[in-house]
Amino acid sequence: MAWREWKKRLSEFLEIPNDVMLNLPRVVLMGNLQAFIENHRGILEYTPQIVRVGIEEGELEITGEKLILRNILPDEICVEGMIKAITFK
Amino acid sequence: MFLFRLMNFIIGYVTITVRGEAPEKFINMAATRGIFLWDIARRGEQSMRVNVRLSAVRPLRHIARRTRCGFRITRRTGLPFLWMRLARRKALAFGAVLFVLGLYLLSSFVWTIEVTGNSKVSTADILSVASGVGLNRGMPKWRLDCPAVERALKTKLPTISWAGVYVKGTRVAIEVVEKTLPEEKNQSPAHIAAIKAGLIKEVLVFSGHAAVKEGDTVVPGQVLISGIVPPPEEPKANEPPMSETQTEKTVPRQPTYVHAAGIVRARVWYEGYGEAPLVETGQRFTGREITRVCMKIKAREIILAGPQKIPFLHYETDVSVKKPPPWRNLRLPVELVISKYREVENYRLVRDRAEARRLAGERALKAVQGQLPQGARVVHKQLDELVVKEPESLVRVKALVESLEEIGTEQPFTPGQEPHNQLSAPPETASFPSRQ
Repeated sequence: MAWREWKKRLSEFLEIPNDVMLNLPRVVLMGNLQAFIENHRGILEYTPQIVRVGIEEGELEITGEKLILRNILPDEICVEGMIKAITFK
Repeated sequence: MFLFRLMNFIIGYVTITVRGEAPEKFINMAATRGIFLWDIARRGEQSMRVNVRLSAVRPLRHIARRTRCGFRITRRTGLPFLWMRLARRKALAFGAVLFVLGLYLLSSFVWTIEVTGNSKVSTADILSVASGVGLNRGMPKWRLDCPAVERALKTKLPTISWAGVYVKGTRVAIEVVEKTLPEEKNQSPAHIAAIKAGLIKEVLVFSGHAAVKEGDTVVPGQVLISGIVPPPEEPKANEPPMSETQTEKTVPRQPTYVHAAGIVRARVWYEGYGEAPLVETGQRFTGREITRVCMKIKAREIILAGPQKIPFLHYETDVSVKKPPPWRNLRLPVELVISKYREVENYRLVRDRAEARRLAGERALKAVQGQLPQGARVVHKQLDELVVKEPESLVRVKALVESLEEIGTEQPFTPGQEPHNQLSAPPETASFPSRQ
């Protein structure tokens, strides 16, 4: 964790966006209809109620109803449906 | 998004159902290898439905083996599949090509010729001139030379000042503009004669000699303004006679002949008769109507639009039949029959006397209105009910209308053949013998 803290400070010092420096996912939400997740590490689980997406250090869980994966690209996932919650684990 | 879908349609894509322990693995691997997947939906515990481009199906097999999943193609969409299906049905493809070819071929002929703008020159004349240059019904369009037809129309029909020939699809429109020739003024001697009987109200002479004056009654055919202008009056005898007058007197002065012109207005009376029954029965339209379109092939009729049964009790039928134009002596046994059914109903109307009188009066006035010429001004009207001895269920009304109108009309004559009394008759007698 110290290493990460270091990196964060460095990025703040050099004014480099965190997601680039720390390899963090960038999540864009369109209300509760769509979620774009950039910089992911693959899907771990997918059901209409839950989508778990692997990210650097952990996973991201989207819960909702009637979820579908609109498209999957090597570094981007688009989830569509009625999104209720997004949780980092 | 639309472009994306269009692209997918052109390239072609398949919907596959992935089955296996962990379809997510399959999807992950495909995604990391750069295979584009979209519209991923879970179908059940162990299956997913995925859309994928046609070109990516082959590498997917490898991935499926690696992730121990299986997939089955459930739906094929896109142009390549459409093309394949068409290639299997050669007759259909051939028919489509034939159809397009036929459409193109048939649309390259002139099927109708339309003439507009002519009022004096007959359409048949224009068409015959056009066919002389080669513009006929059924000719191929590529042989039509529009400027040549225009030139021919202008040279062969002198009353046409401009002609335009355009091709609009399979229709050729001939547009002409006719010359407006100045009206030739008739200068031959003529009288103005009465066309109907009346009481002269005013006489306005432009040229000629007034034969009637205000307040005269005239009969049809009577000369109102004479085209014979008598010589100016002789100087009175008590005036100091000049040496020339003596010689002039011996030579009778000749009257001059002119083309009489002027306005003669007279009061003219008209009578009209109208009647209205107290009890009226008859049939009238209810306003409801139904149109039925049938195609008739030989004796069989096929209803294209409209109901099978006519829902009216009483109705009138209007039938119009459209036939394809015959070619040579071949005619197609197909025709389009458009029938219009209009519902009628019986009615019985009871009027009271006042209303019937009003209606009869209206009809009587309408009957008069038909006799009145244009420009007539109604001065006075009077309605009289005609009463017959025994009472009847009919009201009869006579209308008497007085109008002020022009009654003069031109009446040519040949000088010298005039009855003598017309020359010598003093204007106040006003009752010239009619010259008809």
